[in-house]
Amino acid sequence: MADVSKVGTEYPPITWEVERGKIRELVKAIGDPNPVYLDKDAALAEGYTDTPAPPTFLTVPMMWCEKMPSIINDLKINIMMLLHGEEEYEYYRQIYPGDTITGIPRVARIEEKESASGSKMDMVTVEVLYKNQRGEDVAKSKSLIIERK
Amino acid sequence: MSQELFYEDVKVGDDMPELVKGPLQKLQHVMYAGASGDFNPLHTDDDFARAVGMKGGVIAHGMLIMGFAGQAITNWVPRKYLRKFGVRFSGMTKPGNTITVTGTVVEKRVDGVENIVSCELIARDESEDVKLTGHFEASLPSRG
Repeated sequence: MADVSKVGTEYPPITWEVERGKIRELVKAIGDPNPVYLDKDAALAEGYTDTPAPPTFLTVPMMWCEKMPSIINDLKINIMMLLHGEEEYEYYRQIYPGDTITGIPRVARIEEKESASGSKMDMVTVEVLYKNQRGEDVAKSKSLIIERK
Repeated sequence: MSQELFYEDVKVGDDMPELVKGPLQKLQHVMYAGASGDFNPLHTDDDFARAVGMKGGVIAHGMLIMGFAGQAITNWVPRKYLRKFGVRFSGMTKPGNTITVTGTVVEKRVDGVENIVSCELIARDESEDVKLTGHFEASLPSRG
């Protein structure tokens, strides 16, 4: 059972220096040949100031900083019963190579739900608001993790 | 991709160009693990996956399939216009699956100075099994 008293808890920040090579690596893994992510000149021609981070890039700082496992541990969630239910992003500004983004993970909600078949689960929403090195909001991520019981 | 997409050119009910990905290979799971930093062996180690109940072995990262959906979106709507993108994961994807991402415009609205186009999307495999459903919003330029 997820620890409901943790709603509102904030965790130490995720800090990530964005590199062109990491953007390339992620879109290569996805198999997305869109030149705006791979070629600075193509990006400039499309009105960007550099190769922008693709829509799901924020999974990179989240996973590489290994924040999710420590959050899951702190919430006393059984990792073997864990599902990634939903993921949502809001975008405020582009993220470019050379940016340093910082986000503070926060437990936004914990709710118990019952499925149609009668099994119970805890629905935990973790939000991260990311800012860049100028203190500007760049994006927010919202991850819904489900603990089956 | 470089052709400008205007708010006035998009109608409710319009389909986004579909994107077909695959058949998926285990190698892509390994590439995605390295790129994303998600090293859960459920995605890369058949023995581990079987031990935790996946009879067919490894399954793809859900975020890889969300990545496919993101590719489909920014093939159509430039990245700079994307304001919101969310998915609900509903099925597991296995090596050999071919994933098709489709999407439809469900709403248009003017929100302050922004012209917002709201869309729903869905990713299915070759047997029509749904892997994820999702939504996105883009703020498009106006011809006005």
